[in-house]
Amino acid sequence: MKLKLLLLALALLSVLAFAEVTISVVACSDNADSLKWLAEEFMKRNPDIKVEVTTLSWEVLYPRILADISAKSGAFDVFNWDVMTAGAVSQGCLDLFEFIKQNPDLVDPSYDMDDLLPLAKNLGIWDGKLVGFPYFNNTMLFYYRKDLFENPKYKEEFEKMFGRPLRVPTTWAEAVDVARYFTKSYNKNSPTQYGIALMFPTTHTMFYMYLIFFGPYRRSVEGLTRFGPVDLDYGDYFTADRKPAFASDLGLKAFEDMKALMPYSPDPLGSDYGETLEYFAKGIVAMVPQWTNPYLQFKSSPALQPAAEKIGIAPMPGRSVAGNWALGINKFISTEKQKAAFKFIQFATSKWADKEKLIRFAIAPVRKSTLEDAEAQNAIPWVKVLPSIYADETFRPRIPEEPRLEDISNINFAKILSGELPLTLDTLNKLANEWEKVLTK
Amino acid sequence: MSRRNVVRLIRFCVALLVLAIFLFPIYWLVITAFKQESEWFTTPPVFWPSKFTLSNFLGTGSTTFGTTTTSIAGIVPFLRNSVVVATTTSIVSTIIAAFAAYSIARTKIGGTGLAGWFISMRFLPPIASAIPLYVIFSKISLLNTWWALILPYLVPTTALSIWLLISFFNEIPQEIEEAAYIDGASRTQAFLQVVLPLSAPGLAAAAILAFIQSWGEFLLALVLTSNASAQTLPVYLGRYITGWRVAWGPLSAAGLVTMLPVIVFALITQRYLIRGLTLGAVK
Amino acid sequence: MTSTHKRTGFFMVLPAIVLFLVMTVYPFAYMIYNSFTNLDLSKSGTGQFVGLRNYTDIVRDQLALSSIEFTALMVLIAVPVEMILGLALSYLIRGLFAEKALRSLFLIPMMVPAAVGGFGWKMLFNFIFGPINYFLNLIGLQSIEWFGKINTARTAVMIVEIWQWTPFVFLILYAALQALPKDILDAGKVDGADGWRLFLHIELPLLRPILYVTLLLRIIDVLRTFDSVYMTTYGGPGSATSTWSFYAYKVTVSYGWNIGYGSALCVILVIVSGILINTLTRVLNIGRELGLSKE
Repeated sequence: MKLKLLLLALALLSVLAFAEVTISVVACSDNADSLKWLAEEFMKRNPDIKVEVTTLSWEVLYPRILADISAKSGAFDVFNWDVMTAGAVSQGCLDLFEFIKQNPDLVDPSYDMDDLLPLAKNLGIWDGKLVGFPYFNNTMLFYYRKDLFENPKYKEEFEKMFGRPLRVPTTWAEAVDVARYFTKSYNKNSPTQYGIALMFPTTHTMFYMYLIFFGPYRRSVEGLTRFGPVDLDYGDYFTADRKPAFASDLGLKAFEDMKALMPYSPDPLGSDYGETLEYFAKGIVAMVPQWTNPYLQFKSSPALQPAAEKIGIAPMPGRSVAGNWALGINKFISTEKQKAAFKFIQFATSKWADKEKLIRFAIAPVRKSTLEDAEAQNAIPWVKVLPSIYADETFRPRIPEEPRLEDISNINFAKILSGELPLTLDTLNKLANEWEKVLTK
Repeated sequence: MSRRNVVRLIRFCVALLVLAIFLFPIYWLVITAFKQESEWFTTPPVFWPSKFTLSNFLGTGSTTFGTTTTSIAGIVPFLRNSVVVATTTSIVSTIIAAFAAYSIARTKIGGTGLAGWFISMRFLPPIASAIPLYVIFSKISLLNTWWALILPYLVPTTALSIWLLISFFNEIPQEIEEAAYIDGASRTQAFLQVVLPLSAPGLAAAAILAFIQSWGEFLLALVLTSNASAQTLPVYLGRYITGWRVAWGPLSAAGLVTMLPVIVFALITQRYLIRGLTLGAVK
Repeated sequence: MTSTHKRTGFFMVLPAIVLFLVMTVYPFAYMIYNSFTNLDLSKSGTGQFVGLRNYTDIVRDQLALSSIEFTALMVLIAVPVEMILGLALSYLIRGLFAEKALRSLFLIPMMVPAAVGGFGWKMLFNFIFGPINYFLNLIGLQSIEWFGKINTARTAVMIVEIWQWTPFVFLILYAALQALPKDILDAGKVDGADGWRLFLHIELPLLRPILYVTLLLRIIDVLRTFDSVYMTTYGGPGSATSTWSFYAYKVTVSYGWNIGYGSALCVILVIVSGILINTLTRVLNIGRELGLSKE
């Protein structure tokens, strides 16, 4: 026993003795588990580099990274950042294109940059610079209760009530009847208390939730003709000439769609992801728009067993929204650390890591090869749905002003949905004016 | 039973009812920390867990998730940081405040103006100092150290303690010290040997309040520290709220670890808190 | 008073003066300076002098104005409730069986770190699973969407504040009650005063100074309310529960360190607090309460 301990201590010591460079990774808690595991694997292969992962929650991660960048304090070497903050974070991140050119010896020949999914990679590019490798290709899915939608009794009842067959909605208009049908106060035979769990709180959640409703209008033929193609930096909220596109009749329609569903949702304005996840996991609602990774929680929930029969996954009735994460390297650290950091982020986004983190931690893949991998497809049911979603998902602005636009909008959107502000073009135009003010400052 | 006793009994029952309401949120946190995942959120709510489990602490309840949100693994360094920061702040601020308050109480140095200036220091919003401190601390390599938190925490705690202690020292009769001067003691000696022992309850009260204040601080801890070597417990809690679940059980377990030390400490010492305030707060 | 005593007195306050000068004067000066610039950490090349623009912007900022509204509501509703409840509690348990145990237990909420208390309340207020709505249903009331409606969200935040801070008021007033001079009370009793009359004519006037001090402390702390909002409603729905401090936090920190504008918001907060403290110290004659001036 004592000998074992001694050996263990020696082994640890030898690892420490080898650890010449320590790099510190700051990550959002969504990615922390997978990054910690990858760090362990990386250290096994690179005993001369020690990787530490610090976990912060979403709300505080972005300001923390910005503080580090602007003071050039080098508190963290690798940033795990939300791609919506690309514009702001780019001031402090290495241009990986340039780094690769100057350090060809560090590049893993099997890395295969072309295997990276185009949108995931492009969202990490700012001003022609690659400021982060794509890490987590998160997107929103439509979860529904498969067992209820396939139950003959409900199918028959629904058809009697609405004169059309019960099926998973493909548009928000279609979702209204279904949500109504599954709400107890409107249909006392409903197996669930509410039809759909929606989250419209006054937090950053609101800003992406609006896009799953506005997206179908913005990307429709009419939307594309009127507003032009979607700008990669300004996203679906803007027209091609960078004016707010939501301040229009199409923007109003999106709000009307949201409002139409609210009566069939438990406390939509007071619920955030923590609440809506629970509503679906506990069988309170029949449908919920949610991110990819909550699948793990649904799968393990006693109310949803057997999971394969109860949890259905479909593309969003409107359109999905991207919630990608990237890994970038701090510009203001020593070259030695930058090299070690590069080795780590290259490893963490390699083909092997992409598949492992999907299978082990349900981290949605950034690579074509993973999407096509049979083992990956069997591991998690949504993998097969992803390619069609990735092909046309919407995304938020990536400009430095994004967080501020988000804040004004979250507040005003909540006021519109609660009825505190009238749902008129005038309200939206006023908000658009506020946006212009932020943008011209 | 006499009328008086009936009234007392009613008062007692009312007190218990109010107490139950005030303690219910804490009760809820504690039982959630020991509930299995299926009972965190249910309709109707589970008021007494069917089985008490340590899985929220140990991470044995779930096989689907990694370790970050399933247990309180790795909380120890954060607990240590909280203890060191709160204890040091509490002791140092009480010492500084004791000297200042005594001097103001006895020599009236600076008068109301100085006292007012001291007290107003408590009211500077912490947000205002976050960035300037970040810049200075990064220049003198103090970021992500215990001192990065202790130094700013000293400001509001010392300010409150000065206020508390001025009125406290006013209570101690000056004749006692004058007797000491006649025996040839200097002011410092009189303060250290005569006044300080007499004012122990007041000092304890100030120290306890300072401890409570610095234990729970969140904003500056978030900005001025960056990892387990200096971050405190309130920052640690953030990890349980992710985009894929809010781990209510482990969050409650970590919340229990965060609040237990300060509650136990304050309950043990609250005799002094009451005695200190009784003497000092009212003239 | 000899001059050596004065000098010793000076050296005794010196550490406090140094602490405050070092830790607050520089950050404060930096904050005032920044409030006249457009410094913004999310954009490079900012930090130019813009004069009073940040201040004129505040006047037109709808969100800033609505933060003032809720902050004022907190001062007008939550603080009086805390004061009355704290005073009532200290009377309620006086002389009761197990008084010491009750007293200790009532103090617990004030010791709970705000971050912990906040998410505890978030679970309690949950629309579907929360015990509060469960109890409402038991007595025949409808479930309330606590965080989804303006008035209920405001009520919820105030409940959290009152829960956390009533014990503080209770602590101070309870201690004060213990310290009331026995002889005056006894004299009152001899004169036949009892119950309400004793309270109104003898105890309340004696408690007045400490009530003022507590009130002052609470008002100024409420102006800085941040944690309870951050942990529960995040200022929503809309801007219904955004306090001045919370808004300043969002501008300054969470939405990308807009330091110029955020500093201006902080300066206003400090000025308002300062004016309030000054007025109150004068009106309430805190100087006399602290024994620093005769009148």
